[in-house]
Amino acid sequence: MFTTNPFLPLSEFVSPAVMQGYVVLMALAVAVGTAFDLLHDRKFEFFLRDRKRRKAAAQRQLGGADMAAIAAKTLAHDVATFGEFCNRQRRISHVLMFYGFVLYLLTTIALIFVYPADTSTPAVLPLLWNLGALMTLLGGYWFFFLLRVNVVHDGQPPWRLVRADLFIVTLLASVSFALLFELAAMAGNPAATGLCAGLYILFTTALFVSVPWSKFAHMFYKPVVAFQRRVEEADGSSDLPSPTGGERCPPSHT
Amino acid sequence: MPTFTYMTRCDGCGECVDICPSDIMHIDPVYRRSYNVEPNFCWECYSCVKACPQHAIDVRGFADFAPLGHSVRVLREEKMGTISWKIRYRDGRVKEFTFPIRTTPWGSIKPPSDYAAPDANALGSQMLAHEPTALGVEMLPTLPVLDKKEV
Repeated sequence: MFTTNPFLPLSEFVSPAVMQGYVVLMALAVAVGTAFDLLHDRKFEFFLRDRKRRKAAAQRQLGGADMAAIAAKTLAHDVATFGEFCNRQRRISHVLMFYGFVLYLLTTIALIFVYPADTSTPAVLPLLWNLGALMTLLGGYWFFFLLRVNVVHDGQPPWRLVRADLFIVTLLASVSFALLFELAAMAGNPAATGLCAGLYILFTTALFVSVPWSKFAHMFYKPVVAFQRRVEEADGSSDLPSPTGGERCPPSHT
Repeated sequence: MPTFTYMTRCDGCGECVDICPSDIMHIDPVYRRSYNVEPNFCWECYSCVKACPQHAIDVRGFADFAPLGHSVRVLREEKMGTISWKIRYRDGRVKEFTFPIRTTPWGSIKPPSDYAAPDANALGSQMLAHEPTALGVEMLPTLPVLDKKEV
């Protein structure tokens, strides 16, 4: 159980070549969507202008080694452990969602490109796929019901959906129907399998095609901003007063 | 000089929404980041500026001390008990000020319930000079005399 390739039942509906083409199309959709978002919302222009401002205000010139050290620190702290978050619960939920989604995505690619219709798929890949999906759902539903800021702080009901929810809703729906599809196939119910497969494809397409309108691209922007902040602190161009040695985050109550 | 949020720095944690006494810091429904919905009604208490863990909220300074093109940023360090302000002028000059958050130890302020109940006779005190004449009223308001049972 959970050790067989979850995409085997899907190969009854579509050929492996179609599945592979679909994955490539979705990757292209993310790249094009992010580029559109960068240009249309003038984020690229903002980053360039801010870089210019930083260079003019810099008190020290940073060398290549300094930049590499800052990049490593950003990767190790801000990206790998979501150290930028000061709220512990948001941090843990994002860690679960991010690593779960990455694991789920990588194993999906491996299963579809290497073992598309192969009954001898190594058991570890489907296990990791399920683990990734469960981590994404655990972190995602926790965030959706208990941590979403407009629900917790603005007092909005959890079922009131706004455009900012497009990413989390399509992500949760896509991964949820992926698991339901796997369970329906394991139970041997063809009608439920077909229905779940259709909804899985629908929400997965929505997740990747809606990048210009959703928060998908924030996964790419946040590391850039975290890096920029560290560079500003190092070269003296930061607008923040010089820290006197205290913690960056105030004490967390959560 | 109302506050505004840098969207790229904000992570939408909602601390400013919770602390804003005039309820004008809200969450943007498109980007899920905070923003000041009514800058004209901002009390300029800077609670949001000081509470923001990401230092994502900035202040527009008054033109008499910081002309156009400036930036005013605040760093609150609770452990150090300090609030630091940094003003960067458009000509590149920078001024920094650091103030103590408070001058008495944490937890040393007595709650109102620890103080003795006010005495109604205090209204006749010589400390209230020129009243009620100066106020243009016939008499000062008095507290009703309560039974001991009611107290």
